[in-house]
Amino acid sequence: MKQHIKIIIAAFVAITSFITFPAFAAQTVKVGMSGRYVPFTFSEKDVLQGFEVDLWNEIAKRADYNVEFVLSSFSGLFGMLEAGHIDTISNQITITPARLERYLFTTPYVIDGAQIVVKKGREDIQSVKDLKGKKVAVNLGSNFEQILRALDTKKEINIITYESNLEQDVILGRTDAFIMDRIGSAALIKKSNLPLQLVGQPIDEIQNAMPFLNKPSQLAIRDKVNTALLAMKNDGTLGKISIKWLGSDITQ
Amino acid sequence: MQTSLDFQYIIELLPILIKYLGVTMEMAFWGFFFALIIAVAMAIVRVFKLPVANQLASLFISFFRGTPLLVQLFLLYYGLPQLLPIFSGMNAFSAAVLGLSLHFSAYMAESIRAAILGIDKSQMEACLSIGMTRLQAMRRIILPQASRVATPSLMNYFIDMIKSTSLAFTLGVAEIMAKAQMEAASTFKFFESFLAVALIYWVVVMFFTRIQHLLEIRLNKAYS
Repeated sequence: MKQHIKIIIAAFVAITSFITFPAFAAQTVKVGMSGRYVPFTFSEKDVLQGFEVDLWNEIAKRADYNVEFVLSSFSGLFGMLEAGHIDTISNQITITPARLERYLFTTPYVIDGAQIVVKKGREDIQSVKDLKGKKVAVNLGSNFEQILRALDTKKEINIITYESNLEQDVILGRTDAFIMDRIGSAALIKKSNLPLQLVGQPIDEIQNAMPFLNKPSQLAIRDKVNTALLAMKNDGTLGKISIKWLGSDITQ
Repeated sequence: MQTSLDFQYIIELLPILIKYLGVTMEMAFWGFFFALIIAVAMAIVRVFKLPVANQLASLFISFFRGTPLLVQLFLLYYGLPQLLPIFSGMNAFSAAVLGLSLHFSAYMAESIRAAILGIDKSQMEACLSIGMTRLQAMRRIILPQASRVATPSLMNYFIDMIKSTSLAFTLGVAEIMAKAQMEAASTFKFFESFLAVALIYWVVVMFFTRIQHLLEIRLNKAYS
């Protein structure tokens, strides 16, 4: 009988030894990301890379942290944050009122939203005001159509809905501009090398930042990350990372 | 639109995926090891009908057989730390091993119990008549014979466990399925990536099926 008890105890010890306790020595920040969002966080030939990876390597250098990237499917990331398995999520998380109630966010590091895109070199369109009397393409059924219609109270913009190929018609001059999300259009231009450019600020701004749990220990990390982020914004490092991965600066 | 299969890509991807096969196998081995210990303990408790322990084992088996493995993994890794903060120190790998062993132990306990019950009752009576305790009889006479009966089904559970480790990606464990998904997301070669990972699982399972076959021949030697 004694031997059996020993075996059971041994098994119990073995199981519990799997449960490790967080180390307090060198401060390691665990950053959750999906690893499946090109060009922000993705793995190619077994190398994790992207906008978020470069960003965090720079933050870690400035704030003197060790950064550990924890990859999980996007749907699991908030669960891991809640459970304390990771300190924050770096995966283009949009600040929403519901999330603000629950989490502390860093300063936004990417400004997304409905973006005006024109042919490269065109200077006359800079904002919604300049779209008066112009032909503007939007994808059929996209919420960019609703956003634009809401701003166009006097019905002065000629809004044309497209099923596809709205980029091509802007290049050919059939339409003057198209509206799409800022990140998507920047990534598209970078990837396809089409002669297009983003102009002005997004007309309906969305801010992306990193969420932290509302706890003193996490607040301390958030503040250090903020300091590093602001410095990176001011000295142009953040913009450079954006241009490297997306071809344009979407951080301001 | 390129629709043909890119074999070159599969060949390039295979060595990358195989690097992570170690994580998959480690999860399967540890999971099976703990599952076997828990299962044998529960099977004995159930065969001897030990009061309280028997009911607890029944409840355990009912729960872990009655709920999906994915739900159990989520409960362990995302749910439990909210209730007991100490569990937030448990890493994804340990949570996956723990979840796999609890889940599979429920099934394995039942097949071990069936194997024990399959050994003729007269053997236990003979053991008791010459003065062995019930546990001694179990260890010396019944379990060695029952293990032969249980081996094929336990090996099946092991093979099933190898494949079930692919769910560990949902917890963030970097195993072969995780890597295949990530490479697919960056190259858009979904068919090739998942075909590559399917081939790896298949070869591994064929290997262990062969081992199962050899093991059965060895165990049956005395009876043929």
